[in-house]
Amino acid sequence: MSTPVAEQPKNRFIDPKVLMKIQNLELVARSVVEGFVQGLHRSPYLGFSVDFAAYRQYMPGDEIRRIDWNVFSRSDKLYVKLYEGETNTRVLVLLDISGSMNYGSGDIKKIDYARIVAACLSYFAYHQRDGVGLLTFDSQIRSHVPPGRRRGQLLTILSEIDRIQPSELTEFRKPLRFLAEFLTRRGVIVLISDLYDEPENILAGLKVLRSKGNDIIVFHIMDNFELTFPFEDMAQFEDMETKRKLHVIPEYLRNQYLVILKDHMERLRKELSGSRIDYCLMDTSKPLDTGLFTYLAARSKSI
Amino acid sequence: MSFLNPFLLFGSLALAIPILIHLVRREKSEIIPFSSLMFLLKVPKRSIRQQKIKNLLLMALRLLILALLVGAFARPYLTQPAKPAGNNASANRGVVLMLDNSYSMRYGNNFDRLKAEAQKRIDSMRASDRMAIIAFNENATLLARPTSDKNALKAIVDTLEPSFSGTRYYEAFTLADRALSEFAGDQKQLVVISDFQRNGWNRSSRESIIGTDVKTETVNLAVQNPNNVGIDSVSVDQTSFTRTYTGRVIARIHNYRKDIPVDVQVSVALNDKEMGRKTLTVSANSSALAEFTGFDLQLGFSKGRVHIDSNDPLKVDDDFLFALERREKLKLLIVDAGKAKQSLYLRQAYTSSPDLPFEVSVLPASAVTPEEVTNHEVVVINDVPRLPDKVRDRLDDLRKTGQGQLIILGENAEPGWWNSYAKFPVKAGPRIFVAKDRGRPSVALTTYDRNHSIFKPFEKSTRVVLNSAQFFAYMNVEAKPGAVVLAKYEDGSPVIVESSKEDHGMLVFNSTIDSKWNDLPLKPSFLPLFHEMVRYLSRYNENRSWYALDEAIPVVAGLESVAAAVIDPKGGRQALGQLTAGQVKFFTPTIPGFHELRVGPDTRLVAVNPPSSEGNLDTMPPEDLLASVQRTQGESQQAGLFGTEEKAEYARRQMIWWYLLFIALLAGIAEIYIANQSYKAS
Repeated sequence: MSTPVAEQPKNRFIDPKVLMKIQNLELVARSVVEGFVQGLHRSPYLGFSVDFAAYRQYMPGDEIRRIDWNVFSRSDKLYVKLYEGETNTRVLVLLDISGSMNYGSGDIKKIDYARIVAACLSYFAYHQRDGVGLLTFDSQIRSHVPPGRRRGQLLTILSEIDRIQPSELTEFRKPLRFLAEFLTRRGVIVLISDLYDEPENILAGLKVLRSKGNDIIVFHIMDNFELTFPFEDMAQFEDMETKRKLHVIPEYLRNQYLVILKDHMERLRKELSGSRIDYCLMDTSKPLDTGLFTYLAARSKSI
Repeated sequence: MSFLNPFLLFGSLALAIPILIHLVRREKSEIIPFSSLMFLLKVPKRSIRQQKIKNLLLMALRLLILALLVGAFARPYLTQPAKPAGNNASANRGVVLMLDNSYSMRYGNNFDRLKAEAQKRIDSMRASDRMAIIAFNENATLLARPTSDKNALKAIVDTLEPSFSGTRYYEAFTLADRALSEFAGDQKQLVVISDFQRNGWNRSSRESIIGTDVKTETVNLAVQNPNNVGIDSVSVDQTSFTRTYTGRVIARIHNYRKDIPVDVQVSVALNDKEMGRKTLTVSANSSALAEFTGFDLQLGFSKGRVHIDSNDPLKVDDDFLFALERREKLKLLIVDAGKAKQSLYLRQAYTSSPDLPFEVSVLPASAVTPEEVTNHEVVVINDVPRLPDKVRDRLDDLRKTGQGQLIILGENAEPGWWNSYAKFPVKAGPRIFVAKDRGRPSVALTTYDRNHSIFKPFEKSTRVVLNSAQFFAYMNVEAKPGAVVLAKYEDGSPVIVESSKEDHGMLVFNSTIDSKWNDLPLKPSFLPLFHEMVRYLSRYNENRSWYALDEAIPVVAGLESVAAAVIDPKGGRQALGQLTAGQVKFFTPTIPGFHELRVGPDTRLVAVNPPSSEGNLDTMPPEDLLASVQRTQGESQQAGLFGTEEKAEYARRQMIWWYLLFIALLAGIAEIYIANQSYKAS
């Protein structure tokens, strides 16, 4: 029996505001992921599954016990079954918990949105039997749960996500350098951030990680107000990280701001795609589906 | 620069509104937490500054448009002609110097200060400048026609003396305007040196005189809180018929100081002999009265003077002159029918008080002779059947020499004889007994000529009325052509008739003066009516005891043609020429003091005082005065005071508002362009 969510495609993805009302992060992740997975059966990505095992023609040297005799009996050809263990990977979620992530123009803050994204991805990966890890950072690394598939790993990650409190400045260079040094095994690295740092700083670290064979997905979390700058009245804008204040007449600055922001995002997108890093802009006023699709697309590539 | 609609300039207050909104909003700007100022800080400062400048420019343009519109609708115009000749500092100046020599300038050293200021103005003249000098008081006099001769001008100022007249600015400004008109093409200037007394300006004469092209300057010589006590007026009963003066001399003393009361000694003197003295305390800014009576009078005129001992700097108003006259009484002859008590009421009417100016004798008609009637100024024929022909003829002659005659027709008069009297102004008819002939108990005297002097007492009083008397019988009379009916009964019949102008001097009353035919003698109206009739017939007029300077004094000839002249206080004689009988000429004194009016053999004394209003030194702001007399551009245009060329010049001076509108239009276009650019950019 299908769930009501599956029966009503328009409600397939849950509004972030509704999710925010659910206190239990695991429940939130499950609601999102299961709804999403069920929806997948109708999606163009049909065919990918955690249980899928590929067949390969028998080559001399292969273990005979791996031959699938059922296939042989039907086709008189020898095929070897590839086991699922070979598709497992390690997923590390890098979550930016700098002060700017605490911004939210409406009911939902960027950090809450990022939490849900991180939780969903962790849940999703865990249940695909991938090893999942979490690293939170601002200018420093604040917490680190190494990827693993231990029992309770998901709960550890979720409780860590639940606990985070953004406050400090964003600084990509240091945490990414640390990661490049200590991450020994390849895997999927998911960066969830508003990317308020110079593109060079961001790209430098990510490129090193990429060069070590990691698949990297960047989720750029932005508030709708940051993207459109719809302010009208003159006001003092206060930087949530540095606490610096600036007299702003939005009318004067809007165009320039939007141009600079667009340049910033465009540059990131170009540079990242040039390094074969996936970039996904997420507007906190929109549902989470885009992010998850992007992740899955990247995941499929890595298989 | 000035404005035709200056009130519209208040519209410029609207300019403050956008600025205020800007400031208020700036003060109230809220703090918005924002994720990062990273991108905002990257916005080039130059771009913000440009935008700010653009917006400031827009605001300035909008304010400018508003200001220009307000300015345009306030209709500015150039006060000075655009011609270089008028504005050029090097142009010749034409100055009119108005010097106040009214008697208030005698206060302290005010007049010396005036002269010094005038000399200063003359000294500052350039060789090419011209100046005219006007001295003004109640009248204005052009002392010097426009001239560049400084010495002549100085000499005129040196010899100028303060007058005893009051102040009147209007005439002075009118004369100044005429003098200024001689400075065509020059830069006109008007300098007024005065103490700017408020009572010199009559606010009702609100007609602007001085042109708009005249530069005005005032020199105010008024002193702060002046100290002056003066005699405001003196009320005098001028004529006395007795040796002891029974009338009253009442002097009104005014303390013009507004802060403290003063004690003053008030004395009255006749022919320089003091007759009484009193001490008064006069409160600040108020008046007090001093009354004198009971002193002896010599026959004829006496020179009276009220004097106060005050220590104020204005001495002129400390003396007040008046004239008193003691006269012989009017000789009045009553001729009656010889019946007992027939003239009782009449005699009583004229002799009830020793103060009355009448000396009465009574004769029966049978005893009267032409000689008897000659010696009297007024003869009353009280209801006699007839008169001896000689007496009648003599009366006709005497009327020509000024004698007055009152004929009373009653029960004794024979209508036939009176109708045969050719010069009698009425035709006597039958006797009317009202109850019998008119069917009513009585009639009243209801209609009379209110302008005639014999009814003067009834005009002034509402308590003494003629119609209270009841008439039970009268002799019906009909006025002859030329005769004038002065009063009528309510049934329309005449009561009092006056003879024609050619044969003036006779009044006819057609009812008796007893209580039989009427109850008039018992009414309050009786005495005033019969006193006035006799006064009128005697041509006895009380003269005023004093006149104010510059007030016209009537000089009246008697019944004969005579020469008249005035002897002024300095002994100067001014002939008034030959006056025909009854002719009135007016004489206007120019100096205060006692004047003698000589009309034929008669001499009358007249006291002349400076106008007491000058003692009130309250001033008005000079700028108010100038604003009242100087035309505005609008007035000039309305009055049609411009010629074709001047109209064109005037129109040119008013063109500014078109320029302002045009600039506003250009600013509007610029504003639209810049605003569009900004909008596109945003």
